[in-house]
Amino acid sequence: MRERVAITGIGVVTPIGIGLDAFSRSLRAGTSGVRRIDKFDCTDFDTQIAAAVTDDFDGTAWVEPPKMTKLMSRSALFAVAAAAMARQAAGLGAEDADPERRGVLLGAAGMGPTDNDLLATQARAMLESAESANGGWNVPAFARVFCRRTNPLATLRGLPNLAAAHVAIQQDARGPNSTVTTACTAGTQAIGEGLRLIQRGDADVVFAGGADATINPVTVLGFSLLGTLSRRNGQPDAASRPFDLERDGFVIGEGAGVVVLERESLARSRGAPVLAELAGYGVTCDAYRITDERPDAAGAARAIRLCLRDADAEPGDVDYVNAHGTGTRMNDLTETRAIKEALGPKAAETAVSSTKSMMGHLLAAAGAVEVAAVVAAMCGNFLPPTINLDTPDPECDLDYVAGSARAGRVDAALTNSFGFGGQNACLLIRRW
Amino acid sequence: MSADPTLVGGGNLDPLVQRIVADVLVVPLEQVTLESALVADLGAESIDFLDLVFHLEEALDRRIPFTRWQRYVEERFGTGDLSHTITTSVVRDFALHVTEG
Repeated sequence: MRERVAITGIGVVTPIGIGLDAFSRSLRAGTSGVRRIDKFDCTDFDTQIAAAVTDDFDGTAWVEPPKMTKLMSRSALFAVAAAAMARQAAGLGAEDADPERRGVLLGAAGMGPTDNDLLATQARAMLESAESANGGWNVPAFARVFCRRTNPLATLRGLPNLAAAHVAIQQDARGPNSTVTTACTAGTQAIGEGLRLIQRGDADVVFAGGADATINPVTVLGFSLLGTLSRRNGQPDAASRPFDLERDGFVIGEGAGVVVLERESLARSRGAPVLAELAGYGVTCDAYRITDERPDAAGAARAIRLCLRDADAEPGDVDYVNAHGTGTRMNDLTETRAIKEALGPKAAETAVSSTKSMMGHLLAAAGAVEVAAVVAAMCGNFLPPTINLDTPDPECDLDYVAGSARAGRVDAALTNSFGFGGQNACLLIRRW
Repeated sequence: MSADPTLVGGGNLDPLVQRIVADVLVVPLEQVTLESALVADLGAESIDFLDLVFHLEEALDRRIPFTRWQRYVEERFGTGDLSHTITTSVVRDFALHVTEG
């Protein structure tokens, strides 16, 4: 029999709370973290709302030496802070695990300039070089302005693997280190692959999770052009409304979640405070279209079934499903169908909710923060709500814990993530 | 940060350079003396020198290719281990060399 894997610590940086306790309180209270964007002037944007991490977050407090923050994107700083919180919660001392047996597996967004300062520099360089003799882009002029004004370290902040590198440096984790970039599935998949690292015997401890920070003009406009974002600008806290008939898209969120995964024997030998067991992982790809999910939900349903099998669990064992639940019509319908396909008749008796209704869609961090939400529910004996679910979509007919949290015991729970590109991942978390 | 006319062009560059070194290495200003070795005392790594030259460019308001810094250091000290050699005063000398050159 293979050894179990324990979750011994969790750290979160989210729009509705920094640290597991604050986050858990917001989930229970049904707090929305969606606000009007104030990081830049979003006048005339179709979408003017997002769920940002609040200004009281001080990432530098978690970084040593302080100058390392210069090399961190906002998302890397979130990841480093979340990992440090998770380590602290796990009580993992310097001597508790061989650094060479500590791994890092993070979900992150793709590379490219998402740093607002770099974007501004590029925009200035573009403007000053816009005119050339033939009316096109004057690249040599751009190069002169860009090289003069761009801090040479800026490029390093955009590399997608650097969040995992920074976590490794801060946590002296010299074992396997990898980054998953499967968009909205990345955080879930990173934790699943972290589970596999331990099961394969490649590591004893893995810092696993995801981070993202994309509330910048280019990303907001980009997703807006794709028609995926809510435009309910007049009512930010009511904008994210998964499974509701009046939904009109998702809300971008930002943050990070990191869990400390630990081999059972190590957790037991050092008397670690175990929060839950990470018991199963399933991953598939639709191999269908880039943004459309398979209408029969076969890929998503198969990820759930594979996850149940991996955990040696039955549909009836599942008390709660943390849905991907983005608040787009397609996802709401496909996910509802996938849950019914995978859980069969038990689906009707299973509580399903979308915590994205409160914190928005944290993209590459979403799945990781949602694992934290599941553990918060399990430890706090409550079912997090799907807020803003006022007018249920008749085609979405599961128990979505509409409106406000309910008391309830969660012994086993699933969490789903489905990404642009067709990647589907599911994790099963069980009471220890 | 923009060029401070009272500090460049014959003025005393020491406070300007000390401030830049402190900013770049994120250490308290009072920790940066002219004798501080950037690597050995203040924890600099290789890419911090890129950042340092970028900040000097802005403060002195002139283009300074990084290769110019590399050449300056190599001609003055050679290519061995310079972790105890490159002090704030070396950076100040380079800034002076740039403003006069």
